Amino acid sequence: MHVPDGFLGPQTYLPAYGVAAAAWTFGLRRLRARLDAATLPRLAVVTATAFVLMMITVPLPGGTTVHVAGIGMLAVLFGVWNAFLSLSLVFLLQALMFGDGGVTALPVNALAMGLVGSLAAVGAHRLLRPVNRDAALFAAGWAGTVASATLMAGVLGLQPLLSRAPDGSPLFFPFGWKTTLPAVVLPHLAVGVADGVLALLAGRCLAPRPATAAPPPGPEAP
Amino acid sequence: MRDRALLLLYLGAIVAATFVHDPARLAAALAAVLLASGRRAPRVLARASRAAAPFAAAVSLGWLAASWWEQRPAGAALLRLNLRVLLMTSLTFALAARLDLQRALGFSRTLRFALVLTVSQVLTFRRLHADFRLALLSRSPRRVSTAASLRHGAAAGAWFLRRAEHDAAEIAQALDARGFFLDRR
Repeated sequence: MHVPDGFLGPQTYLPAYGVAAAAWTFGLRRLRARLDAATLPRLAVVTATAFVLMMITVPLPGGTTVHVAGIGMLAVLFGVWNAFLSLSLVFLLQALMFGDGGVTALPVNALAMGLVGSLAAVGAHRLLRPVNRDAALFAAGWAGTVASATLMAGVLGLQPLLSRAPDGSPLFFPFGWKTTLPAVVLPHLAVGVADGVLALLAGRCLAPRPATAAPPPGPEAP
Repeated sequence: MRDRALLLLYLGAIVAATFVHDPARLAAALAAVLLASGRRAPRVLARASRAAAPFAAAVSLGWLAASWWEQRPAGAALLRLNLRVLLMTSLTFALAARLDLQRALGFSRTLRFALVLTVSQVLTFRRLHADFRLALLSRSPRRVSTAASLRHGAAAGAWFLRRAEHDAAEIAQALDARGFFLDRR
């Protein structure tokens, strides 16, 4: 879902950096204030897991593939701000080490998937938890993915309105909302199901526990 | 210091690339990046093309089809878009070989620590993911079916979750045993 470099204009990514910088500062201060022996290693390892889960592609009919993002999983396990920091770190590493995503797209990706996606996931989880714990976990994964895809489609569709050449041709991403909303959001309604299953699995087997507990045995390879 | 300066230079170049809209200048900048990469230029270009291709090709083909349908020229916009994407991705790969990210982001101890832990886990998990994919291919005499791909993805995903649980507990205990958190309490 995340956008590479070159598709977002400075009218979008410069203000987005301003908002994201404020959010990163707040999140880092919050993390440092609550840092203990369990939090940071767990956050780092689950960040790496989110990174590798994004590499596992799910085949779709027609030859295309999609991948889960783990937004709901991170938000439910670590809360909104830690999930935001964790996903921002994933996007930074993907952009600088592997050329996936990009530095100009980083704040938009981080805000859409890390912050808005996490807020939607935690909101859905809190709303449904009193009714059914499993349904709440699944809804968190689904809502996180769909909310961030909707925001991303909105930002992409804004580009032709913000920057055009004198001849009227688009300077960055060329399609408007009429194209981006169905093209981005509809497939993510299905991807959200995979993310919902992931959040459900993770919520059951990765619930935070004290750092003094013995580590569980390593798993066997699939 | 060198890494931080390199990162700032890269960020400046990336931002500058979004303010240039003339395809000739974008092409000249791309040529300059490749020249500066020296013998690594073909590799940088190949990696950048591979990384940018999926999204750029989907957008370009869509725009080409829409332009053909509406009978308007698409060449200049497509050339500008693809040259810019290729320039920015090439800049990233040209930098990646020279930059020590942990040193460049060393202004925050917490951030550097999280980065070291995360990168070490990412590199391990990436290798394991590639191993699992190769194992699936080697035990499949024919092209891997969609159902087999789905089963493999689910099994690998569940494996990584269990492995994450194991590694997080192990790292936390190792850090605690070495007194990492003592100076923070």
